[in-house]
Amino acid sequence: MENDHLQNYLSDWLVKYELVHRSLGFDSRGIETLQIKVEDWDSIAVIFYVYGYNYLRSQCVYDVAPGGFLGSVYHLTKIQYGTYNPEEVCIKVFVPRKNPRIPSVFWIWRSADFQERESYDMLGISYENHPRLKRILMPESWIGWPLRKDYITPNFYEIQDAR
Amino acid sequence: MTGKVMTVPVTRKDLMIVNMGPHHPSMHGVLRLILTLDGEDVIDCEPILAIYTEEMEKIAENRTILQYLPYVTRWDYLATMFTEAITVNAPEKLENVQVPQRASYIRVIMLELSRIASHLLWLGPFMADIGAQTPFFYIFRERELIYNLFEAATVEGVGIIGGEEAVNWGLSGPMLRASGIQWDLRKVDNYECYNEFDWEIQWQKEGDSLARYLVRIGEMKESIKMIQQALEGIPGGPYENLEVRRFDRAKNSEWNDFAYRFISKKPSPNFELSKQELYARVEAPKGELGIYLIGDNSVFPWRWKIRPPGFINLQILPELVKRMKLADIMTILGSIDIIMGEVDR
Repeated sequence: MENDHLQNYLSDWLVKYELVHRSLGFDSRGIETLQIKVEDWDSIAVIFYVYGYNYLRSQCVYDVAPGGFLGSVYHLTKIQYGTYNPEEVCIKVFVPRKNPRIPSVFWIWRSADFQERESYDMLGISYENHPRLKRILMPESWIGWPLRKDYITPNFYEIQDAR
Repeated sequence: MTGKVMTVPVTRKDLMIVNMGPHHPSMHGVLRLILTLDGEDVIDCEPILAIYTEEMEKIAENRTILQYLPYVTRWDYLATMFTEAITVNAPEKLENVQVPQRASYIRVIMLELSRIASHLLWLGPFMADIGAQTPFFYIFRERELIYNLFEAATVEGVGIIGGEEAVNWGLSGPMLRASGIQWDLRKVDNYECYNEFDWEIQWQKEGDSLARYLVRIGEMKESIKMIQQALEGIPGGPYENLEVRRFDRAKNSEWNDFAYRFISKKPSPNFELSKQELYARVEAPKGELGIYLIGDNSVFPWRWKIRPPGFINLQILPELVKRMKLADIMTILGSIDIIMGEVDR
């Protein structure tokens, strides 16, 4: 097992510097998960980068509940020479459904380029300050956000099984 | 009253016409021969060509020399340098262009290497035609050494990515390792049983296309070593985990109810995902392939996010091709190694 005792290292460090966040516990592999508020996200992202998290592994979005919030998830890792147990963290930023806008982290981690465009395309979250935020997988004239749970596929009339 | 009359069979003297080809057992290409035979002797042979024609002479009338160069490699596709050499030499002689001495030497080196390559590839099928099948494979091994030199000439110094830049752009896999970062998920994460084998991370420092090429070739050799070690050390024991979530076969189980028999959209009970989330990753050949999975206490996941290595490695392409020549785009794109199936999903 990687972590014999799971400790909120990062959460404690953030508390020490009085940065507002909420700890969401750990996922099944023991990776620490933190929730950051939208207003603080751009400054805290820079803090993480300076702290050493230089690799944005994956950025995805998901629909928390139909009618509820939308969540943007960032997996950060520290890539250093010769580590065999790198530090990782998972950060979630929740936004309301009505006007979802999150500051873009493209200028900190370049790998957010296509991933934030895909998140915009699929769920409709606008990333402010992204240099070219337009649809990437769907055609540009598409209306609607396909991966939301309340999305209705147009012109698709197969009889759905009511659950 | 009359005896039997013995009819003496008269040998018919017609000639036999046989068609040979167009496919042949060795690499001659497509050539159709119409042979006129008298028993075993060949009387006449008429070759029928133009099965593979592309009318390159007509095309040449509408192309400049530079535009025409890609076509010439298709004439003699085993000694391609010669075709390019003549395409360049002919206009030079026409216009009396002087070629510098160094260029002339470089051309001679490439041409003679190409000659060796072509003779090697003649030797293989020739021996196969006569009956010796094995040298066919050995000649390709020798040709590989020449290919390495040709590859380095085309690909060195093209599309350089620095180490820190590679990490910032989120690259993974051979692209990251070719820029000097020794990051291989098989060693970092220790999943499956990779730590029981003896193997090295393949990495290079320069970060250009040649470095990526060498990393991938080195990885193939390491994989062969790993497969051999795995085959020697494979343990006995069961290969299925039979305890995991079998479904209920008791007498009055709910899986035999009315709903499960006739409403076909209900899936049969199998593995159930609990309400947790996880980011799992493997070291795919193209990079880090990850799945972010949020379970939902049912058999369907709530969110199944695929982190494709090709999608993320492709982001750096506009940066790399700025201020490069048009011909280098294909080299750089090829060295990134993307496959559109995972990019588009």
